[in-house]
Amino acid sequence: MAYGVRLRVWGAAACWTRPEMKVERVSYDVPTPSAVRGILEAIHWKPAIVWRIDRIHVLKPIKFASFRRNEVGAKASAVLAERGMRAGSVAGLGLSIEKERQQRATLLLTDVDYVIEAHFEMTDRAGDDDPAKHIAMFNRRAEAGQCFHRPCLGTREFPAEFALLPEGAPLPANELPPDQRNRDLGWMLYEIDFVPDRTSRFFHARLEDGVLDVNRCLAEGTAA
Amino acid sequence: MTVLQALDRYYDRMERQEAVAVPGWSYEPIGVVLELAEDGALLAVESRLDSRGKPRPARVPKWFNRSGKGSTPNFLWDNAAYVLGLGAKDPGKTARDHAAFKALHQPELAEETDPGLLALWHFLQRWNPASGLPPGMSEKQLVFNIGFRLRGDERLLTDRPAAAPHVERLRSAEGSDVEGFCLVRGERLPLVRLHPKIKGIDGAASAEIPLVSFNVDSFTSYGKEQGFNAPTSKLAAFRYGAALNALLRREGGHRLRIADATVAFWADASANEQGEALARAVEEATFSFFEPGETTEATSPNDLPFTALVGEALKKVAKGHAEADVDPALADGVEFHVLGLAPNVARIAVRYWISNRFGAFRRALDSHARAVAILPRPWGGKPPSVQRLLVKTTALQEKFDNIPEGLAGDVMRAVLQGEGTPYPRTWLAATVIRLRAGDTPNGWHAAAIKACLSRMQHEETPPVSLDENNRHEAYQLGRLFAVLEAAQYAALGRVNASIADRYYGAASSTPARVFGPLMRNARNHISDARKRGRGLWIEPRLQQIINCLDAELPHTLRLEDQGRFAVGYYHERAHRPAKAEAEIEEATKENQGDE
Repeated sequence: MAYGVRLRVWGAAACWTRPEMKVERVSYDVPTPSAVRGILEAIHWKPAIVWRIDRIHVLKPIKFASFRRNEVGAKASAVLAERGMRAGSVAGLGLSIEKERQQRATLLLTDVDYVIEAHFEMTDRAGDDDPAKHIAMFNRRAEAGQCFHRPCLGTREFPAEFALLPEGAPLPANELPPDQRNRDLGWMLYEIDFVPDRTSRFFHARLEDGVLDVNRCLAEGTAA
Repeated sequence: MTVLQALDRYYDRMERQEAVAVPGWSYEPIGVVLELAEDGALLAVESRLDSRGKPRPARVPKWFNRSGKGSTPNFLWDNAAYVLGLGAKDPGKTARDHAAFKALHQPELAEETDPGLLALWHFLQRWNPASGLPPGMSEKQLVFNIGFRLRGDERLLTDRPAAAPHVERLRSAEGSDVEGFCLVRGERLPLVRLHPKIKGIDGAASAEIPLVSFNVDSFTSYGKEQGFNAPTSKLAAFRYGAALNALLRREGGHRLRIADATVAFWADASANEQGEALARAVEEATFSFFEPGETTEATSPNDLPFTALVGEALKKVAKGHAEADVDPALADGVEFHVLGLAPNVARIAVRYWISNRFGAFRRALDSHARAVAILPRPWGGKPPSVQRLLVKTTALQEKFDNIPEGLAGDVMRAVLQGEGTPYPRTWLAATVIRLRAGDTPNGWHAAAIKACLSRMQHEETPPVSLDENNRHEAYQLGRLFAVLEAAQYAALGRVNASIADRYYGAASSTPARVFGPLMRNARNHISDARKRGRGLWIEPRLQQIINCLDAELPHTLRLEDQGRFAVGYYHERAHRPAKAEAEIEEATKENQGDE
């Protein structure tokens, strides 16, 4: 790919939440392409480009841990907020923790390390933009550690560290144990398709020698 | 591999053995059966309880879960409120329920020719709830579900062949179908709105809870409701629900209870007979590893006890197939899954999900058995189950309820994931706390501590049996403490509060402060005992240990070193020479005589 990038991402913990186990969170074994796209978009994105993920290399063994924490059960209501705006008061908008407390468990991954291979394509809103300009911006920002907001590993409480892998640099060593290198991961979330009505799209994911080759998996089984 | 997909595949295996529930039917407890004559007259009321007084399950049509305030009658069976209009609950609701039951059956069975179903139709025409309890039925039986039977027929009405077409008709008339991509089957299918409920999880708010549920606003996203947050087809939902319920049956051999979590484990079997036998062998071996019944002959600490269990199970397979030997490598290739579920009020949390080839499990469980091995062995033949290990090392008064929350899950994850996953440090802390609180150091604690330290990075593993020249100071201090305790026993016999009771906590955490006075007293004890001709073995032992220590004792010991202290203490105590016991008895009698 002429305008491909390779980014190394690592962190102490990650939770790529499964949609079916989203209440008591359980993580997928490997990142979903849309979560990885979120990491790239945190570093550089304009409406002119859309990121496409090619490959995800899993470098460290897949290990789980679990903890529980208190969250809330209610959502802020848009209707009440609007009413409050018109009335000019915040009465009735509060959330009482004692009444809404929900304790939810999380089964997360610990000590993760990935290399993301991706490229971007220009969209209809590109105007006169040149892909070279965007790739240069991305490389410069990733090199310097700049981002719009800190990229996260699935959920916001797990921050990601990132470093650019320059062209031609070798991939870091893969530390996956042999029995974890080749696995059938079943149907994994590819992304949420917002245009018709926010349907989830899935693809059949496979880990081959520690690499999740998204393109190859997409080519075989269709997502929607 | 996802949980739901693996369960879906297990349903295939169940189907091959014909142990399945069919969509639209399930096993429900039916406690009372009403015998009807052909014209609907009620002839008798029978009780269907098992030996423990619980209603026996029967296969009945059930294709929805009841929730909310509406009346949703079941077909050909239901509880007393629906069937008879009698019950202890709100009379308005009972009346509506009974009316709904009649309204379902009367049009459905109106042109029925089968005598059994027609009898029910007549019964419902004639039955008036105002007539009270039917003769032969007691108030206590109103809590059970009620089924029906035709006179002269042994089967329930639900088992009669004529019932099935009605069930199919009613079931397919249910609900509208939203289609979508099913994340389990991987194709476009009608989606389910409410996932099936799972029975068999202990400690939950109710007997049945769904594994996948979005019952509160904050759990939903993108404006989706309920099950549409995770699109799953009705077919897949039914299949995984049936599979998980079958696995969690209490006497099924696929279920374990490890502290707060209920664990289901199963193997994938290929379609042929040998595949099925292999799968059953590995499941049996796993079950007996975690639920050791009677103890067998002792194995040495270097054995691989789990591999031995697997070997035994495979031999049984070979016998059944008249083969000389089944290759253990075949068993290693079987895909094996372990799912640990813990209840959280009205939801189920996945505590751990481990899915791998059986070989990896075998190595992991063997590694666990080696990690906890200690001599002299505190338990019988086979290594202890995880529950027993936890309750003896971390629970106040050794009650299962007192195991610290969440610890069992972390320990199980370490056991099942093998060498790469360290045991939780909280286990080490909980064990040391129990020792300081005064629990008898009977070897279980030492085993737990040794296991935790063996997988910690940068920590030396404590020795399996007494190691007199161990270089670790904390270990030698533990041994020293045991010898000082022996000196006191030799002089004074069994006192009410030995130095072990009084000083264990201080000696294991701040040795420099405490060992000075203890050694002084020990001199007195030793000379006292010597005068009566006892405890002559103590001095040389003491000397050997002191030679291994530095001149300056450490001021404090870290948690890991306090653990080593406990291991040294256990090893040395267990190695007291035999005559020491006799001497202690003598000393006790003397002392009691003195008073």
